[in-house]
Order: sequence, then C-alpha cells, then structure tokens
Amino acid sequence: MFLVRSCTRLARSRASYCAQSHLLKDGTKLNSFSKSDYSSDVTPPTDQIPAVRASSSIVRQKLLEFGDYVAECLPKYVQQVQLTYTNELEVMIDPEYIIPVITFLRDNTLCQFTNLSDLTAVDVPTRPCRFEIVYNFLSIPYNQRIRVKTYTNELTALDSICEVHPGANWYEREVWDMYGVFFRNHPDLRRILTDYGFDGHPFRKDFPLTGYYEIRFDDEQQRIVRDPVELAQEFRKFDLSSPWEVFPNYRQTPELPSPPEVSSEEEKK
Amino acid sequence: MSSLVGRSVGSLKNVPIKPIMSANPTEARRRVLTLYKQWYRAVPKIITTFKLPYTKERLQNRIREEFLKNSHIRDVRAIDMLVIKGEMDLQETLLKWKQECHMKELFQHETAIRQPTDFLGKFFSQK
Repeated sequence: MFLVRSCTRLARSRASYCAQSHLLKDGTKLNSFSKSDYSSDVTPPTDQIPAVRASSSIVRQKLLEFGDYVAECLPKYVQQVQLTYTNELEVMIDPEYIIPVITFLRDNTLCQFTNLSDLTAVDVPTRPCRFEIVYNFLSIPYNQRIRVKTYTNELTALDSICEVHPGANWYEREVWDMYGVFFRNHPDLRRILTDYGFDGHPFRKDFPLTGYYEIRFDDEQQRIVRDPVELAQEFRKFDLSSPWEVFPNYRQTPELPSPPEVSSEEEKK
Repeated sequence: MSSLVGRSVGSLKNVPIKPIMSANPTEARRRVLTLYKQWYRAVPKIITTFKLPYTKERLQNRIREEFLKNSHIRDVRAIDMLVIKGEMDLQETLLKWKQECHMKELFQHETAIRQPTDFLGKFFSQK
C-alpha cells in the first residue's frame, strides 16, 4: 500500500524532475538531484572548460531540496531531515519502517542508493533509546551520499535490511556483536569479531576498559584459561607537572598592580 | 551469557516496546524450557566431542546452574534476548566452532589462581 502511494507521488513529481534525466544524455556530469541545470548557476563544462565543483551553497541548496523531496514522499516514516556542517544529508527515520525507507531509497529512479557503504551504531547511554543506528548509502548514478539514522535500545529488535542490501549481512553481525542490537529476520546472526564464550558487548559505553576476563596460557592445564580481571591498584590520577622549576629564565612572574598614586595636591589638602 | 542483559529498561516515554519473539511470559517460559531440553540432550555429545573429563551429571548440573543464574529475570524481552544468546551458544557448541578450552571455561573456577585473602598474602603477591 505504501509503495502504491509513493508511486503516485512519484508520477506527480516526475514531470518536474524530468529535465534532470536529459542531462545524462549529454555526457556531462550530473551534479545533483534538483531540476535546475547548469545554465543559471554554473558555467556548463565543454571540451575546453573542464567540469568544476559547484560552490557549496549550490550543493547545499540542492541537497536540501532532495531531502525535502524524500520527506514529502515518506511523511509517516521520516521524522527529520537535516544537513550537517559539511553538507552531508541526514535522514532520521522511525525504527519501525527501516525496510520501506531503504527500499524506497534504493529503487526510486531519483535516488538509486544501491550501494551500502557503511552500517554502524553509536552508543549514547543517557538517551532513552541509547543506540543510534547509522546507515550510509552511495548513489552511483548521481554520485551522491545519504545517511539514514534510526534509534533503538538493548531490548528492542530492529528489522534486518539484508533482503534489501545483502551486503548488510556482516555489518549487522558486527553491530550485534559489538553493541548487542538484535536484528530480526537476519539470515545468519552470530558473533563475528569476539571469541566464543565472550561475555558482553565491547563497544557499549558501560563495558569496562579492562574487560571482564584476562586470558593466559596455563602450563599445568596445557590450555588457555580465563581469570576475572583483578587490578593491583585502583585507577590513579597522575600529576605529571614537575615540582621543580625547569626553566627559571623563562619564569613568568605576574606583575603586581601598582598602588594608586596619591596626588601631591591631595596630600597638601 | 551476559549478565548485563537482565537489566530491565523502565517504562520510558517515546520508547517503542515491542516483543522480540514472545508475546507473553508463558511463551517465553516455553522457549526457555525448549532451550534447556536441547542443552540437556546435547550433554553426552558435548562430552564426547570435546573430550571433557567430567561425568554427564556434572555437566548437566553446571548447565542448570547457568540457567538458574538468570531465574530472577521477569522482563519477557530480556528473557528472549537470553534465549537467543543461549541458542547461539548451543550452535557454536554443537557445530564444534568452540574448542576444548572454551568448554572448559564452564569449569574455570577449578583453574583460577587462588587470590590470597589475608593482608600479608595480598602484600607479597602484588605485582
């Protein structure tokens, strides 16, 4: 039902975006998603003039237009569209609807984000939903990147995007292993980086820096054994500044403010 | 199995609460029992494949201890998470991805270095 609705929206918006596809046939580099062509903003590249990068304000404007377009197509799923300081488009979505959004971004003619360049998570324990899941996509025909962000917590499962992007398989295993975010309908969700029998998820902020166990080879047992970590002393804060004066010639003594001079006239009075 | 999972997330606003697998405690309990039976039945195979120097009863008791360690957990989603981890653990064991040392970690308290508890013993053994 969602797809049908978005298709109708597409059909309506296609007329305005049609001008863009003709640019491809000229063999010129297609710059962005918006319909405006080079004539108004930038000198079009010819045989003599090489293609140059558009100025950042133009790129910014086009990215904003494209972000608005995505948000208009998926009003229920997209919560916020924002642009970072370095002109990267970020789309915040509802965790329930990861698959429709990413399918839209992959299959829509004007998006074609067919390449999943990265999938990772961020742990911020103070938030109500502490994990932020970040998807980075690359659209090869348009040479554009987009970042899709969503959120979850330890006990909420997310939908796996392996069916949409098979390359997400190992990324999701990594996120599961490092952060403990469970992905529903993943074809083969198991540990990928940690050792068998490893406890906990190392990239969580509450995972201790020293870990829970230390591993050693035991000569008597002739095998590797795990012992709970025990530190000889507590964490200490070292004061590394020397108590001795190292460069006395460069000593900076603050000049004391001179006492206010009492004028001689006042003294006479 | 991680002990951190058991921590329940309180009722927070704007946080989606959706079941992972089980819709109610009865269903979660059934999953736990199924997993326990799978582990229990796998015990003879585990002993032969990993050449463990323990009796069947000993390993069964150890597995039961692992399950009872989490018996206080009431949150259905936390139970589901532990069941998922337990299933992964069983898969690693039965397909022999684990090695002997990983299985013997279940009995690691036997090999642990005894830390001295008295004052002088602690002083002499410190690094």
